[in-house]
Amino acid sequence: MSAQSLIMGHPMSSPAHARHALLYMWRIRKFEEAVEDLFGRGMMHGTMHLSIGQEASPTGMCMALTLQDQITSTHRGHGHCIAKGADLTRMIAELLGKEIGYCGGRGGSMHIADVETGNLGANGVVGGGIPIAAGAALASKMMKKGSVSVSFFGDGAMNEGAFHEAANLAAIWKLPMILFCENNKYGMSSSTEKAFAIDNLADRGKGYGIPAVNVDGNDVVDVYEQAKIAVERAKSGEGPTLIVAETYRWKGHSRSDKNLYRTKEEIEEWRERDPIPKFTSKIIEAGLMTKEQCDAIAQEATDAIIAAVNESVKAKPADPAGLLDAVFKKASA
Amino acid sequence: MSERMLTMAEAIREAMCIAFDERPEVFLLGEDVGIYGGAFGVSADMYHRYGAERVLDTPIAELGIVGAAVGAALSGMRPIVEIQFSDFTAQAMDQIANQAAKIHFMLGGALHVPMVLRTPQGSGTGAAAQHSQNLEPWFASVPGLKVVVPSNPADAKGLLLSSIDDPNPVIFLEHKLLYKIPGREPVPEGSTRIPLGVSKVVREGKDLTIVATGIMVNKAWEVCEKLSAEGISITLIDPRTISPLDMQPVFESVDKTGRLLVVQEGPAHAGFINEVIAQMAGSASFGSLIAPIKRLAGMNIPIPYAPQLEKAAVPQIEDIEIAAREIVKNWR
Amino acid sequence: MSFKYPVVMPKMSMTMETGELIIFHVKVGDHVKSGDVLFEVMTDKIDMEVDAPADGVIDSLLAEPGAVIEIGKPVLIMLTDTEVMAFDFGNEEVEAVQVEQIEQVEVKIAPPTAAVILNESVKAVPKARSEAAKRGVDLRTIAATGPDKTITMHDLNNAQVDPAMAARQKANRALIAKGIEMSRGIAQASFSRTVNSDFETATLIRAWASVLRSRPDLAIHTHVGVALIIESKYGSALPVFKDPDHLAHEDLKALVASTSEAAKNGKVPLAMLTGATTTIFDVSRYSMNSSTPLLFPNQVTSLTIGYGTESEKNISLTIDLNFCDFYDGALLLDALVASITKH
Repeated sequence: MSAQSLIMGHPMSSPAHARHALLYMWRIRKFEEAVEDLFGRGMMHGTMHLSIGQEASPTGMCMALTLQDQITSTHRGHGHCIAKGADLTRMIAELLGKEIGYCGGRGGSMHIADVETGNLGANGVVGGGIPIAAGAALASKMMKKGSVSVSFFGDGAMNEGAFHEAANLAAIWKLPMILFCENNKYGMSSSTEKAFAIDNLADRGKGYGIPAVNVDGNDVVDVYEQAKIAVERAKSGEGPTLIVAETYRWKGHSRSDKNLYRTKEEIEEWRERDPIPKFTSKIIEAGLMTKEQCDAIAQEATDAIIAAVNESVKAKPADPAGLLDAVFKKASA
Repeated sequence: MSERMLTMAEAIREAMCIAFDERPEVFLLGEDVGIYGGAFGVSADMYHRYGAERVLDTPIAELGIVGAAVGAALSGMRPIVEIQFSDFTAQAMDQIANQAAKIHFMLGGALHVPMVLRTPQGSGTGAAAQHSQNLEPWFASVPGLKVVVPSNPADAKGLLLSSIDDPNPVIFLEHKLLYKIPGREPVPEGSTRIPLGVSKVVREGKDLTIVATGIMVNKAWEVCEKLSAEGISITLIDPRTISPLDMQPVFESVDKTGRLLVVQEGPAHAGFINEVIAQMAGSASFGSLIAPIKRLAGMNIPIPYAPQLEKAAVPQIEDIEIAAREIVKNWR
Repeated sequence: MSFKYPVVMPKMSMTMETGELIIFHVKVGDHVKSGDVLFEVMTDKIDMEVDAPADGVIDSLLAEPGAVIEIGKPVLIMLTDTEVMAFDFGNEEVEAVQVEQIEQVEVKIAPPTAAVILNESVKAVPKARSEAAKRGVDLRTIAATGPDKTITMHDLNNAQVDPAMAARQKANRALIAKGIEMSRGIAQASFSRTVNSDFETATLIRAWASVLRSRPDLAIHTHVGVALIIESKYGSALPVFKDPDHLAHEDLKALVASTSEAAKNGKVPLAMLTGATTTIFDVSRYSMNSSTPLLFPNQVTSLTIGYGTESEKNISLTIDLNFCDFYDGALLLDALVASITKH
């Protein structure tokens, strides 16, 4: 997507759209940096999976969705959650094990869900969310809600049975669903070259009768454009689309990753393709925003994260007293 | 009111039809549940009555089916999943144990999963090791799942309607041999419910308490009848819901009889019925025991094929009779 | 370069608490790019490189290689162009995020009642046990007819308390009580020593008899009779081993074993019921260190064997000062200890 076409009537050519895209990518970036810092200081329990470098994919996809549309997310899910509009304080608070956290401290990094924004939850099991998104799409179809559901998953999940079973169900039932693969090249340490015998992961779509498209996962405009087409297709009853977004995680799989399976050169090469400056220069070039305006957006995101962290740190720790009552939902009278 | 004697398959179908009529968000999905009527004919004719959209045939993809049910349940529907044999739930275990069971808790109560997973289980059909298991402990050991094991048509109807009402995932385990058998009691007409988590005292006696699950309730009943003629009177308790488990009637009964025999079809080792024993051992009613607790359960083997082998693998009426008589005679 | 960013010792695994700084890859004044390696650390699990979060200049190094640094503590400071997310709340607030420990509820176990302690060594159904405790029945006095010799409720309900047994229990208790009562009036002295516990009861009986025999001035009888207190279902039994030092060791050992076994069931041969000149009470089998000294009428001495450590026992000797001098006790005990130790 060239700067030219941004101006020439493209949906993202409005300053409001550009601003949204830039703000959310910065929010994700700054959120992940904050998480890394908090974890590094030992303030965060458990583990964390950062999506620094991948911000354009969830931002572009979720910009094509409404609040009623649903998503399922992954263990590397902070970006999806933010892009769908989740509250930053409740997210940070969850990571710090606070009562006001999204899950009241019961879920942590890998299990944040937000009903308000149609986020059915991140998932600790690779591929776990794909059949669930198919089910959400089935419900949308049966209840004639007109909503679409998007399942985010990584390249690794494409080799799970859950992907195959859910893709097939979505195809035969023509479900309003988008299978969104963030191909960041590695399932933990296994490269796609090692884990797949096909070069293009989008070829998998053909096997299920699902149209598939490759997008530059580091180009928020490209992601948004294809997402929009897929959403329209789903909502008009034509069934699912498989989007394979080529992207890259700068950081290790989790904190205890030494990056033994990839080269510094490769990481460096992808750092050069940082989705944020790429988009920033594009919108400045297109005259949609000035550099000062762009810097202000970055600062706005930074301030929002700082405020979220400061509020979360002060919040009340989650209370073990309610644990037993939290297992089952009480029947409403 | 007519005294309707239905089979368990008929009672379950009736419950599903009532739920279908009462709630538009209820639907059934599973392999061959449509025009075929389900592997055991439980959903026979429902396809014609409610159409292909609500009686949804699926490909053979248990993980996908249960996952789709979880997603639909999260999004406003109330799916009933039929898995053809309980053994095949192994294929779907991620969606059952990691997703359905945990979503409400781990997401801090933001979402819940109102779904029922119905599946036939148990031996006696010669279907051998991969089609005959009793997997109660798999499900009962996962917090977040409710587990129902009906022993008769009337209970099956009322419990299934309650399970469909329940806002949580319920695993509904139906013994294959019970499908075609009419119960001892009539099945009430209409939209009647039996609450989950309430054990049923099937009959009362003073000499021995038997706690049995599923088909074993029926076998134990025969023993109660026979021994009653010999002057041995037995209390028979059917927990009906094994998660959550209602032990109160068991404690109260053992306080009177002092003797406890527990019976299940599944293997003894780490079986569900051991939970009954553990709770008894830790209760105030322990001091009421005048005999060691006796357990009858399946052998710790996969279910074998040949009829005589299959019979030997799980408790039979004679085994229960011998055990019951011995406890009462030896421990006075 | 307007932002100061402290690069800290990062937490790199779920269990990591500290990390060792191995080497710096940068020095003060170096310009670094985001992703450049700043230093290497070693933890319990892995070695890892820590890289620059942003472009900038190294301002200062805060530790020496080899230093073990707590997670969250700064290792170096760099100056950056852009603000990098960094938080430092001080210890107080870090404390606040610690997961609260679930309060440990102290479980208070009520001490068992006397009857329950007594009933611990028999097999009975739970109901019989609780009923026996309630009724104050000693389950050892009840014949078990249940499977595996377990006392059933039937056994408990139908147990007749044998009047003869009750009488014998009563008589035995009276005997001990009388002994204690009389001992109180006797001017006495007690001595004790710790010895290795690797001696047999028969050895002790034999050694004690020969020590006493070596002091005829203390004996008021011509023979030595050693009474051994044994717990039986009729209460304490006191079989007397007459002149045990005249028996061969193996014979005495067999006699002590058979007599002890019989005494437990209340069967002591008539000939062994009298003639005691001294008494041995072994409380070490109850893990007791010592007990009230017993001096029966007409006995000048008594021994109590108590539990010392896993390998030691306490021997206490009590003497009647009407018949011997104070130091005699010490001499006697010394001679006894020498004899069993030599053995």
